[in-house]
Amino acid sequence: MSILDIYMAKPDNLQGALDVLVMKTLCRGAQHGFAIAAEIQQSSDDVLKVEAGSLYPALHRMTEAGLLKAVWRTSTAGRKARYYELTSKGRRRLTESEKRWHEVAAAVARVLRTA
Amino acid sequence: MSFWSRLQRTASSRRHAEEIRDELQFHLDMDVASGRDPREARIRLGNRSRIEEETRAVGIVAWIESCAQDVRYGWRQMRRAPVLTLAVLLSLTIGIGANTAIFSLLDAAILKPLPVPDAKQLRILEWTNDGYPPGLENINGDTTIAAGRFRASSVGANVYRRLARQQTAFDALVGFADPVPAALALDSSSAEQVSLQYVSANFFQGLEVAILGQPFRDEDDRVGAEPVAIVSNRYWIGRLGGDPSAIGRAIRINNVPTRIVGVAPPQFFGVHPGQWSDVYAPLAARVAFRPTERAADARGENDRDWWIRQIGRLKPGLTDEAARAALDPIFRGLASETTGSVDEKKIPALVVEPGARGLAALTPRDTSALWILMALVTVLLFIVCTNVANLLLSRAVARQRESAVRLALGAGRLRLLRQHAIEIGMIAIVGGASGLALGYVLAHGIHALFETGRDASYSFDLHLSARVLWFTAGSATLTAILFGLAPAIRGARADLHDVLKAQSRGIVGSRLRGARLLASVQVGLCLAAIVAAALLARSLQTIERVDVGFDRDNLAYVSVNPWQAGYTAERMPAYLDRARDELARIPGVVQVAPLEVRLLSGSGNAAGVVVPGRVTRPSDHANFNHVGEHAFETLGIPLVAGRAFEPADRQPNSQAVIVDERFARLFFPDRSPLGGRFGFNQKDPERYEIVGVVGDTFYNNLRNAPQAVVFLPYYWSSTAGIGGASTGPVNFAVRARIDAGQLAQAARAALASVDPAVPMSDFQTQTHLIDRILRTERLLGFISGAFGLLALTLVGIGLGGFLMYAVARRTNEIGIRMALGATRSVVIRDVLTEALVMVGAGVALGLPTAYAMATALRSQLFEIQPVDPLAIAGALAGLMLTAVAATLIPARRAAAVDPLIALRAE
Repeated sequence: MSILDIYMAKPDNLQGALDVLVMKTLCRGAQHGFAIAAEIQQSSDDVLKVEAGSLYPALHRMTEAGLLKAVWRTSTAGRKARYYELTSKGRRRLTESEKRWHEVAAAVARVLRTA
Repeated sequence: MSFWSRLQRTASSRRHAEEIRDELQFHLDMDVASGRDPREARIRLGNRSRIEEETRAVGIVAWIESCAQDVRYGWRQMRRAPVLTLAVLLSLTIGIGANTAIFSLLDAAILKPLPVPDAKQLRILEWTNDGYPPGLENINGDTTIAAGRFRASSVGANVYRRLARQQTAFDALVGFADPVPAALALDSSSAEQVSLQYVSANFFQGLEVAILGQPFRDEDDRVGAEPVAIVSNRYWIGRLGGDPSAIGRAIRINNVPTRIVGVAPPQFFGVHPGQWSDVYAPLAARVAFRPTERAADARGENDRDWWIRQIGRLKPGLTDEAARAALDPIFRGLASETTGSVDEKKIPALVVEPGARGLAALTPRDTSALWILMALVTVLLFIVCTNVANLLLSRAVARQRESAVRLALGAGRLRLLRQHAIEIGMIAIVGGASGLALGYVLAHGIHALFETGRDASYSFDLHLSARVLWFTAGSATLTAILFGLAPAIRGARADLHDVLKAQSRGIVGSRLRGARLLASVQVGLCLAAIVAAALLARSLQTIERVDVGFDRDNLAYVSVNPWQAGYTAERMPAYLDRARDELARIPGVVQVAPLEVRLLSGSGNAAGVVVPGRVTRPSDHANFNHVGEHAFETLGIPLVAGRAFEPADRQPNSQAVIVDERFARLFFPDRSPLGGRFGFNQKDPERYEIVGVVGDTFYNNLRNAPQAVVFLPYYWSSTAGIGGASTGPVNFAVRARIDAGQLAQAARAALASVDPAVPMSDFQTQTHLIDRILRTERLLGFISGAFGLLALTLVGIGLGGFLMYAVARRTNEIGIRMALGATRSVVIRDVLTEALVMVGAGVALGLPTAYAMATALRSQLFEIQPVDPLAIAGALAGLMLTAVAATLIPARRAAAVDPLIALRAE
């Protein structure tokens, strides 16, 4: 993925999907990058594998956009780690995006059913 | 994320990179800790540095992206108001362009160091003495009387050579002469006039200038050595086609075979900014190149002729005083040998001066003229700033609603401020770039004005230097801050409540207070600028109208230099008689006479006057000139008493001289000067007998009070100076009824018919010579006048723009008033009153500024006082006229307001 692709990304393509997944994961509490990736993989029953190469640029971009807030904190393993948490703006965005995703998913499902 | 944190992060980008690295390392470690094989974990993570890079890029790209958005937005804003944008950009271009132009000139002429390595180590050596040192026949270069001591810069060849050898304080002590004209012939073709500079053998090595070919060697600087020369890059490219085989080529300088040994580097012009030497030759070559005056002349250097200036490269770590202390005893020892003086006080003492910029390129008057112009363009730039600030401010007020709405919708104030800053930055960049272009063109134009005719003594290197670029960038930035700050803050400060409440009228009136103040400041600055311009114009006019004492129109000078063609003094009279007759034969020529010094050409001779029976005072000086028969008729100087010169006077022992009335008044106050005797030195106080008296004339310049003038008969002798005409060019004054171009052409042909080997070396009309000595005055007069007009125009635009805006904002109010019965003339009067109040406040502000500026100008003014009623009245009238003109359109616009439409808009 090129730098430009990250930036041209609109919430309704795959890039947007990763954003929604990250935000959804974080709405249950602050997490560091590795834990976010692990959790997405786990809760999707290993179907969605999040690559570090996509995850970290996305985390930083969302931080820039004010959707997430990043802080350095000591992890459970006793090491300093960068934790991300959802801002109120992020929370609002999540609500919108979730709704949108459901609509899109439902629409896709309908198309697949009728075809 | 705010602007500041972004800025902060850009500044600490290394820490940011480390954070990302730590984050990725943590990711990897966690993966391993959860039980994965370390190698596999690394593969799963992927290309770490690429991830780092992409993650880092996120912040920068987002920022650039949003800036690009702002730029696009700014561009749209500008396109929405094309007239305003154009006015803003045009003002900036003019302001920055004028500043860049004058600064380039200032930089090239005054500020720039010599184009040699480590120029700041250079020192110029001069000396002072208690009066003119005895035993010296001539001192070239600048001589002044400062603090009661005689001060000069040149020394004799023997003094220089021995001082350079014996001294230890300088890495090299270099000697050089002021450039002199010389005739250079490339092959058998005719010679061309070039500028020749004699320099010491170590000149190029000492200044650390690399020569293509060979620098001079010590053996080249000996009397009798084969003459060698180094040519300038300019001459090499221009005349020798840049051909490397030119090195080693044989040429003739003043008809003496010479070999070119090297070429100087491109930017090197010598040590005198503005003067470009074409050819360099060793000091000793001066003996060889000197025109043969008499075949039997003894060939050798004259130690009593002091003509060599010195510049040295100070050893690192040495102070000027230490260098002076080390050299002074050696110098005084050498000097006393020549002057033969034993009196301690009468032996010249050394002075060490900074030399990084070489010799002063401009006279103090020209230097102060340039600084005055710099001050004027700075004022102009301030006017531009206030103008642009006002235009943008009025737009910012207009955009306040938009700003308020954006703020209400959650945009950060800083974000809004950045939006404004980016717009202002765009304007500054475009204005700065076009200002730079205009400045470049303007600088060359002004330079051309400076460098009148063939006189190339003010030919500066105007290449865009880094310093000029920095100056322009700096002034554009400063301008942007000055004109942009107020509108940007105003734009970001918009308060929704106020603005929405105010709707489109009311409150706005008070908001214009800032703009009104700016307009007044602008008027004040403009007044100062035009008072200065008016004073300089009046001064120029006064000096141009001075009665010079002779008829300056239809007078020209034709010059030849037979010496350079190898003529001896014996052959000169016959040649000059024939040349004069040929010139007189040209149809339309009324009268021709040879003379040594062209009137009002800026140069000339002076000597002390001794009258028997009169106590000689130090101020007893007179200018002198050698003139042929019919000179007074040719020049148009009236003969008051006695007779003019006759052919019989033309011989070395002639005692007949003619003086002007000033001389007669000064030295023969109570008796008839006719038959009176005087001399130019104590040894022979009865050398001359006055046979005639003529009217007073200005001699070589118009600024200083004219001195007494003595006219001697024109003849040719072997020694230069008072004894007879020197070996310089011979000038024929020609009074003709035909135009100058025709005359020049006919004169060239006439001279060629006398001897093709002696071409016409110069042709100048008297009016052109006068223009040339008034160069500084004309330059100041024209440019300050042009800038004054620009300032007036800008103020007119500024005032007009402001009033247009004020009227537009008050359409409703005007409508209501008209509905209530106010007539159109009342409305017009109101607008006019508003304008006059602003102008009045501006004048109150401007008068003290104008006074300060005029006082600073004092040294440049000719017979005009700084507080000149006519200049001030003229400036005020110009300002009032501009103000009224600027009010016309807004006033008509106000009068045209239709009450119905205005009220309906409510």
